Amino acid sequence: MSLKLKRELDELIEAKVISTEVSTNILKYYASKKTNNPNKLFAIFGVLGSLLVGLGVILIIAHNWDDFSRTAKTIWAFVPLLVGQLFVAFTLFKNKSAAWKETAATFLFFAIGASISLVSQIYNIPGSMPSFLLTWILLAAPLVYLLRSHVAVLLHLLFATVYACNLGYFNEDQPWWYLLLLAYTLPHYYRQIKNAPTSNLTGILNWLFPLSLLISLGAFVGGNDSIGFLIYVILFGVFYNIGKLPFFNSQRLRTNGYVLLGSLGTITTLMIASFKWVWDDYTSIMVSTQDIGILIVLGLAAVAIIVYLFLKRAMPSFNLFQYAFLCFTIIYFTRFAQSEMPVILTNILVFALGIFAVRIGARTGRYSVLNYGLLIITVLIACRFFDTDISFIVRGLLFVAIGAGFFGANYLMHKKQQKQNILENE
Amino acid sequence: MNKLLITIGFFIMLAAQWYVPGIMIYDQEAALTEGTAYKFKTQPIDPNDPFRGKYVWLNYEMESVKSTDSVWGYKEPVYVYIRTGSDGYAEATEVSKVLLDTDQDYVKADAGYYHNKEVYFELPFDRFYMEESKALDAEIGIRRTQLAMRDSLAPVCYALVYVKGDIAVLDNVFIGTVSVKEFVEKEQADEASKRR
Repeated sequence: MSLKLKRELDELIEAKVISTEVSTNILKYYASKKTNNPNKLFAIFGVLGSLLVGLGVILIIAHNWDDFSRTAKTIWAFVPLLVGQLFVAFTLFKNKSAAWKETAATFLFFAIGASISLVSQIYNIPGSMPSFLLTWILLAAPLVYLLRSHVAVLLHLLFATVYACNLGYFNEDQPWWYLLLLAYTLPHYYRQIKNAPTSNLTGILNWLFPLSLLISLGAFVGGNDSIGFLIYVILFGVFYNIGKLPFFNSQRLRTNGYVLLGSLGTITTLMIASFKWVWDDYTSIMVSTQDIGILIVLGLAAVAIIVYLFLKRAMPSFNLFQYAFLCFTIIYFTRFAQSEMPVILTNILVFALGIFAVRIGARTGRYSVLNYGLLIITVLIACRFFDTDISFIVRGLLFVAIGAGFFGANYLMHKKQQKQNILENE
Repeated sequence: MNKLLITIGFFIMLAAQWYVPGIMIYDQEAALTEGTAYKFKTQPIDPNDPFRGKYVWLNYEMESVKSTDSVWGYKEPVYVYIRTGSDGYAEATEVSKVLLDTDQDYVKADAGYYHNKEVYFELPFDRFYMEESKALDAEIGIRRTQLAMRDSLAPVCYALVYVKGDIAVLDNVFIGTVSVKEFVEKEQADEASKRR
């Protein structure tokens, strides 16, 4: 790469495009950039290496070496832990680079798991998977702040989510500890947002936090009633509105996990709720107080964010996606007045959201959003074919119309953009 | 963060990471050396744990005890009072939601359900970790041996558990007079010689 660059620069000097001084400056700039890059690579490979070694140690321990005496096995239980701790002490007190810290934190994280695994195994200590995971996460939790390790945060979130699912799904227990574990990482997340808003890691955390919450919510919700739909739609409403906060809204769309998850989640849940059988199957009105509690907390959170956005004047124009959860809440309660009502209204809401996405796409000149809106309408119509008796001709005509809509909308936008370009050039 | 705070935090973390496995070992060792040994009749079944390896899941014969109290919550923690019966194996004498004022040994368990004036419970020491190639063979071998013999001659499979206060440590599992590890090793050696 540098050889190629040098050749190019020599050619430019020869052609008298740039001076020798400029060429030297360019080379210096790339040389300084290069010294940073290996560090990043070193961190990635260091973490990967630690991850593999750590998991390997756990697997080797899981084999259960029954020819060793209990004492020998107990000593071995502490060897990985000691190595990990020495490694962490070395990086911490010698003030080593971030790459060292990430590698050491990853290794110690798994060494803790290996150690308590082996002790449990040696003494046949009873204990469910969730309690084992919780002990592990708590013992490794200080790594997040002591080493300021990003990998420790990712592992913490990942294991906390696994813990919540393990305890809460198909079980009557509630993983309340999960909320504490999640809250524990919030100061780190806040600092990351403040100090490095555009870094890749912040982008990853912007996805990981809502994803973890989304996956774990089911562990708290009773969920044998359609109130589950309402809770999820409100959660997606919270996500979408968080994503519209000025900080997140100014980020690139692909790093704004809140908006994307909020939007996709709202549409998917509403799409399911647009089927008649969903409302027929869940006719029970027996709802647990906990479900109502979660519903109220999430609802208040979503409304609070909208109020905050209003006060900050961060809502330039009306966006139906931000209020979809409120619309669905009203729709949900219409079922007590008329059983057919929620089905019809949900269909109208999804259709309106589709149209709205098309409008946003057309206004902002984003093909992705425009086609997303058209896709919503297409899927909605395709879904209706499953539970309505429409003749083949009508179905066919509808599809042709939607297809034509796809072409037309994209063509019109293309034209509009071309016109704008011409005007700008003039 | 302040360097002093980091140092203190680091040593607290270190201490916790040693204390937790350390206290686990200390409690278990205390029960093994000072506790009373009980034999619990059982049947092994082979499952798997992604982190801690293979184990045989033990299904105990002692699973209920008479009680006049009919209200027991599912998974409610209970104290099952035990003694060695006339056949040499552990038997439950009483179950209570609170600790009783008695010197009799007890094991902590989870209540299941109440039926026919008996409380059903699950004993906690139901995992016996084994070397990965032996866990499944232990289950199959023990079942085959017991099926092959008449009931009165079939060797009893039991777990040797040491009890001291709240702690109950599963030390070993036996089939007749041999440990399940030796039993499986012998079975595996017989199989290998047959194949030859």
